Amino acid sequence: MLSQLVSWSCIALESVLLFRGLRSKLGSRYPAFYTYISFVLFQDLLCYFAFRWAPHLLYTYIYWITEFLCILLSCGIVLEVYRVGLSAYPGTARITRKVLGLVFVVALAKALVSAANDPRWWLEATAKDVAGTLRAVQGVAIVALVSLFLFYAIPFGRNLRGILVGYGLFVCWTVICLTLSSSVNDNVHAVLKNLYQSSYPVFLIFWLVHLWSYQTNPASEVEVPLEREYERIAAATRRRLQDARGQLAKVVGS
Amino acid sequence: MIGIPTALLLGTILLLLLLFVAARGSMDARESSSRSDVPLLDDEAVIDPCPPEFVARIFSPRDWEFVSETKSPQLEKLFRRERKLVALAWVHQTSLAVRRIMREHTQAARHSHDLQFATESKLVLLYAELMFLCGMLFLAIQSAGPERVRGLAVYAGTLSQRLAQAQHDLKAITAGREFHSAS
Repeated sequence: MLSQLVSWSCIALESVLLFRGLRSKLGSRYPAFYTYISFVLFQDLLCYFAFRWAPHLLYTYIYWITEFLCILLSCGIVLEVYRVGLSAYPGTARITRKVLGLVFVVALAKALVSAANDPRWWLEATAKDVAGTLRAVQGVAIVALVSLFLFYAIPFGRNLRGILVGYGLFVCWTVICLTLSSSVNDNVHAVLKNLYQSSYPVFLIFWLVHLWSYQTNPASEVEVPLEREYERIAAATRRRLQDARGQLAKVVGS
Repeated sequence: MIGIPTALLLGTILLLLLLFVAARGSMDARESSSRSDVPLLDDEAVIDPCPPEFVARIFSPRDWEFVSETKSPQLEKLFRRERKLVALAWVHQTSLAVRRIMREHTQAARHSHDLQFATESKLVLLYAELMFLCGMLFLAIQSAGPERVRGLAVYAGTLSQRLAQAQHDLKAITAGREFHSAS
């Protein structure tokens, strides 16, 4: 009963979120986020019907295949936060690219070392383990991204902040739940599963509140004094050069 | 593939960072609704760094030895209290100056087209080291007194001047490059 209620409330909330996204034209500003939500809605409907009418094994396959596609699509959200948030800040964007690259190299190296130390992992790892690992890598990438945003005091608009905080909290909760669920007994596992499922509408409500209407990202409010100063010097120098050229032309002409 | 402690650590760091982002968002919203045209004195105040000889003097044991020779417990007590306050004020001033330098740097750096990852990393490490040193100095002055942490204070003073110099050089280099590319 509870799981049905959660499923239907998720479907309803996702539909409202998509409707508002189209209505307020947020869909074109945050395409990766709305593609992800559309896919989650499709996944929810597919899994709901598969659960009711298909054999359990087929449902499991459908669930995990769509879940992995979902994780892949959700990487786009992280990239979108980077793209939209740092479009006006090329310096921070440059550092962020390097840091994110470093994070992925370190994560890949760690995965390869762990797999080399324990070759059975590839054979014995469940879909849940792999999903947990992928979400953890996403979590590390979000930590790096948010740290840089905070360090360089990048201002957030309400929409972008909603996407970032909501998705970050969702990843955080998913990593903890997936990691804990593989090492607890059946009773705790069932509680954790219910808790995990019933928490998803909370994230959807959070997104809905922050993405109800479009709000501009605060532009670079404070013009950098250094650049302003040098623009002034450059303009003055150009003017003087033009004057000097004029004087020179007069001298040569006479 | 990741263990429970790693997952919990990652979750906690992520949660704290995101809560900070959310809190900053609501603070920004409140600030923008009650923003005054008059700048706050603290934000605009430029703090000049103390000269190195002044730092060495604050933390020098020589004044303390001089006062001890007077054999006046009252004077000793007064001197100890006053010197501790001056030392703590210096630590506070240094930490404020360091934060101001970094704030100026990040404001300029985020717009720069020509930012070097290695230089940025060095500056961040220097900043982290200085903030850690300021924290350590604050605790050490409170517990052991200023005359016992002279070496650490002089080192922190030198580092803060290095940071200011590095930021100044970087500003000049970045501006020079952008000036050349613009002309």
